Amino acid sequence: MNLNYIVGHVVIGARSIKVNWPYMVSNLAFPLSLLFVVGILSQGKLLPFALVGGLLSIIAMNGITAVSYLGSLKFDYIYQDLIMTTKTSKIDYMFAHLLGELVWIIPSVVLYFVLDIIFSILTPYTFLMTLFLGALVSVATYSISFWFSGVVKNNRYTPAIGTVLGLLMITLPPTFYPYTYLPKSALYILTFIPTTPAVILAQGVFGIAPMQWYMLPVLIIETLAYFLIAKYLTKWRED
Amino acid sequence: MIEVNQIKKVYKDGNFALKGVSFKIDKKITSIIGQNGAGKTTLIRILSTQLLPSSGKASINGYDVVKNPYKVREITVSIPQEARPMLWYNSIDLVRMYLCARGMNMIKAKPVAEAAIKRVGLWDSRYKLAGDLSGGQKRKILVAMALASDADVIFLDEPTTGLDPLSRIEVWSAIKAIKGQVILTTHYMEEAQALSDDVIMMEKGKVISQGSVGELLKSFYGLVRVESKRRIKGRTSYKVGNTWISYVEKKKAESFVLKDDIIKPISLDDIFIKKGVNLES
Repeated sequence: MNLNYIVGHVVIGARSIKVNWPYMVSNLAFPLSLLFVVGILSQGKLLPFALVGGLLSIIAMNGITAVSYLGSLKFDYIYQDLIMTTKTSKIDYMFAHLLGELVWIIPSVVLYFVLDIIFSILTPYTFLMTLFLGALVSVATYSISFWFSGVVKNNRYTPAIGTVLGLLMITLPPTFYPYTYLPKSALYILTFIPTTPAVILAQGVFGIAPMQWYMLPVLIIETLAYFLIAKYLTKWRED
Repeated sequence: MIEVNQIKKVYKDGNFALKGVSFKIDKKITSIIGQNGAGKTTLIRILSTQLLPSSGKASINGYDVVKNPYKVREITVSIPQEARPMLWYNSIDLVRMYLCARGMNMIKAKPVAEAAIKRVGLWDSRYKLAGDLSGGQKRKILVAMALASDADVIFLDEPTTGLDPLSRIEVWSAIKAIKGQVILTTHYMEEAQALSDDVIMMEKGKVISQGSVGELLKSFYGLVRVESKRRIKGRTSYKVGNTWISYVEKKKAESFVLKDDIIKPISLDDIFIKKGVNLES
């Protein structure tokens, strides 16, 4: 593993925040808007759900919309070809960019934790579990993005793919309301979206819905499966 | 030393990109020239381990590009044809990140990147974002990556395509500063003449000639090129577009030409013309 690339990319990459700060703001815009809408419509009743799910949805959105960025690096900048002929493997490349992208949502994550404190739902246990679930969601969604960016033949559609997948990841799963609202059949189908088991677990961890521990192996297996798809099915050296 | 033995590449659509290419390279700077579609980029991509060949063998300093890609990547650098530096970083950070990709830690990479940026003449713009630099300066960042890497073999795929003449000369001097063996592709004949110790000429997936510029132009010794709207009597003429090209002795050239004819010195273009290859330029 080329840790030098991963660290270098993350640290040097973070310096571009000075130039690209509007992206940080845009990462906040959609979940915060939904939080507002859910809060108003439910007269505050669903606010804890929107707070718990909102944070995971920021992480999921960040991972899945990366397909557009990865596509741009591959097709517009030919950066992937440049890096491919170095010591860096495709998994090094994927993790460097995954961690690099996470830097952009740090303010959003911090803001959500602050809101959790304000609404008195954050404890050391819920904090650590949220980080754990967020890490799994991040790996799963980024793996999907990485695989997609390897499948597409040009960069024309990647922004659209990213937007559609992003919306699927955060609006179909019970991100902003109790998972108990969903019919069981829909819940089982939605389980294939990594955000679903993560949100179900998070709602249980925060004590705002019944705990479903069986979702933990589901999420871990899903994350592993998406990671393996990215590892073995993403094109790197062409044949 | 780069050895290529009967490399073939057939794409999935049945298109033959390389039809059995063989050569050896041991000179400092080698240019691979040929028109678009000649197979230059495919060849470079195979040698730099980006693309697998359909058959044949190729090795770099003894390492097989198919069996030992990781070893090949350690000793080579490849700057792809359309690579562009990411516009939101400055030149030093871009070179640093590239060095990190090659395995150097980011602290050690900083002075190395700075030295390379100095050598390619970008020191005064080192804190400017790549997006604010000219096309030539952006290409120089990529050459700086090659310079900084200190690799044994550097592949540059059309490093000056699309640059203005001044920027091209600047990039040429940066290429000359590279320590390792350089293999570059180009369709600018004057670039190959200005830079190369060895030239490989490709056409339709095959190597048609290899040698130094002097060796390749040996058969044209004492001749000049006459470009004319008519065929010159008593001379073999080649039609390129609407122009007839003939080769006449330098001393007698004046007696052959009419008012609108143009006399030009011999260049690598003429080898392609004599071989009947239609050039774009």
